[in-house]
Amino acid sequence: MADLGRAALVVTLGLAVYSLVAGGIAARRSERRLAASARNALYCSFASTLVAAAVLATALVRHDFSFKYVAAHTNRHLPVAYTLSAFWGGQEGSLLLWLLVLTGYGALAVAINRRLLRDLTAWVVPVIGGIATFFSFVLVAVASPFGTQTAPFDGNGLTPSLQNPYMVAHPPMLYLGYVGLSVPFAFAAGALLSGRTDERWIIATRRWTLAAWAFLGFGQLLGAHWAYVEVGWGGYYAWDPVENAALMPWLAATAFLHSVMVQERKGMLKVWNMVLVALAFELSVFGTFLTRSGVVNSIHSFSKSSIGPWFLVFVVISSVFSLALIMWRLPLLKAKTKLESALSREAAFLYNNLLLVALCLTILWGVLWPIVTQLVKGETRTMGRPYYDFFLRTFGLPLLLLMGIGPLIAWRKTSLRGLTRTLAWPVGAAVVTGVALAAAGADSSTPGLIAYTFSAFVLATIMVELVRGTRATGSLFLLVARNRRRYGGYVVHAAIVLLAIGIAGSSAYSSSVERRLTLGQSMTVAGYTLTNRGVTVDSKANVTETRAHLAVKGPWSGTISSGDNQYVNPPEPSREVGIKTDWLRGEDLYVIVDESHPKTGLIYVQVLVKPLVNLIWIAGIVFLFGSAVALWPDAREQRRLVARFATAVP
Amino acid sequence: MSTRSPARLVVALAVAGVLAIFLLYTAVAGHSTPTLTPSQIQGKSGKLAVVGTVVGKLRGDSHGTSGLRFQLVDPQGQKTKRVDVVYRGAAPPPLFRVGRSVVVSGTYVHGQLQGTDIVTKCPSKYTSSAS
Repeated sequence: MADLGRAALVVTLGLAVYSLVAGGIAARRSERRLAASARNALYCSFASTLVAAAVLATALVRHDFSFKYVAAHTNRHLPVAYTLSAFWGGQEGSLLLWLLVLTGYGALAVAINRRLLRDLTAWVVPVIGGIATFFSFVLVAVASPFGTQTAPFDGNGLTPSLQNPYMVAHPPMLYLGYVGLSVPFAFAAGALLSGRTDERWIIATRRWTLAAWAFLGFGQLLGAHWAYVEVGWGGYYAWDPVENAALMPWLAATAFLHSVMVQERKGMLKVWNMVLVALAFELSVFGTFLTRSGVVNSIHSFSKSSIGPWFLVFVVISSVFSLALIMWRLPLLKAKTKLESALSREAAFLYNNLLLVALCLTILWGVLWPIVTQLVKGETRTMGRPYYDFFLRTFGLPLLLLMGIGPLIAWRKTSLRGLTRTLAWPVGAAVVTGVALAAAGADSSTPGLIAYTFSAFVLATIMVELVRGTRATGSLFLLVARNRRRYGGYVVHAAIVLLAIGIAGSSAYSSSVERRLTLGQSMTVAGYTLTNRGVTVDSKANVTETRAHLAVKGPWSGTISSGDNQYVNPPEPSREVGIKTDWLRGEDLYVIVDESHPKTGLIYVQVLVKPLVNLIWIAGIVFLFGSAVALWPDAREQRRLVARFATAVP
Repeated sequence: MSTRSPARLVVALAVAGVLAIFLLYTAVAGHSTPTLTPSQIQGKSGKLAVVGTVVGKLRGDSHGTSGLRFQLVDPQGQKTKRVDVVYRGAAPPPLFRVGRSVVVSGTYVHGQLQGTDIVTKCPSKYTSSAS
């Protein structure tokens, strides 16, 4: 069966090379039959990749340990869901998933647009083919998931901390996001190569970009929640290079999603949009390079892998290709109109973009800093949390404020008087909130207080917009249905506000106390009193569970347990934290027992009280809902666009 | 804001320049920590982080006055250069044990790393089974 998988990947490589070469020749010479042939090769590359994926999935389900990959990442005791999740649990499988999604996305995007954007999609085929050639080559020649061996009786299994439902969903979500960014990139490159640099490529890929961006954002939140409940250090984001690798393309894509609106409406920022879409794509591949190369020190990656140099070469070649294309087509990318006022919707989008890109590049600088210092000073230096936190506040707080101001400013220009009138209610709400919170003691953290005040401002602007729109249409449902993109965007803004409140609350206002507690001894944290009630040990078939039990009195009363699990197969430990959520206050009581002695009852415990942390997870659901509203097909919008661009589809 | 492109370009370049200087300054001004392997630590002192593999016997207790004592060697390549570590604080993460790759942050004085924080590498998906 492994031979079938290997053969399928070789076929994919051949088809991808054909769609790259034949597609390029066909597009250059405008040969329609050859173009159709290259397009069909791209469709077939998805089918052959699907065969390879089916082979690996079957081997996993059948516990076929003659596959090295299956033996390395699963064992007979692993539940089916986690056995299947091992598909993307290892390097080779995750690359296969990448290729599967890429060829699937590419084939679908080309199929949808092939008639209406003929010249442009003729160039999209070789671009997607080029990317697929790289991934299929890596899978065939460097990191094949179909290596075989004499089958051992059992496999290595999956690390216990990865046996978590979040880990089933988090990686594929990220891949759907990373790979999804290839579609707008390919269409942008197609627009440049074909010389069709009007707004059609943006309209054709708007939903692809939005979907990729939503997957990437939601995937990161799933990963953050996994870290919070499973890793057991009390946090959810560590500014680790691998975490940053997902955040950077998301920030670039966020900037792109905003700036395309300026191009659609005013015909401006054409070069900027090309740069942003290329940046988002390159960062998504660069993230994979970071994850797999071992070039920077990360808590997620141990060793240098053989695919790192290949990814670096691909990032360099595709970056040079993108920049050269943009430079070549600069004369076609001139703006139709110019910025008329610093107080206009387009100017607000520009400020938003500058801040997002500045934040993205600052993070990139921090990630690359160990490499830079190694090259310049011969000594690796790593950026710490204070660096990232500083720039998150520096660029993030003005971004939050702009999120409230931007939607209320008119296109072209706004008078200061008109703006003052529009913003009166939201500013009033923000001031009242800020003063009330300061009086309640929230001024212990200035950035926290500013974040809450700005959040109140943004929520008030969203409310003002909804009330004003509902009055005009007579129905909130009609209002949203008639402009899903705009109001979906507002829901996403509300999600970002919830995220900001959750991050500010759980970081700026959290309490943490560490204690050594003997049996019966108590400690107090932020109004909670915890008493050590002893340690139990429970031995089960594959695991020994040690738990310290603490009686809690305070805003919530009951018993909370924390400790560790020691597994037999694989022989790994895992930390088990105790979390009690108070949904009314949005607060978590988070208990980490890092050492316990069953005989004496002695424990070493860290107790954290994290206000409003649950708003972060709620924000994820709101974010997904808002993205779905913005993505939902809209017949009215389609008619408008068809009228504007007779041959384009959204 | 001027509507003339050259003016905008100048403003953009100025902003980019200021930002670059700002970043460089911030980076150099002490937000970064040297991250070394045991073979690179000779002649260094002060606050730093060491990346290495735990070797030898684990002795003592991180909560005790004498601390938890162990040694680190390079994760790859040279295994002869060893760094003595004394770690005090919360118990190390559950995955901490001999043979694991870890990052220990602390102060390096008199040939000994006085550790204040241990990060055990995540049981990542993208590793060989040997690591």
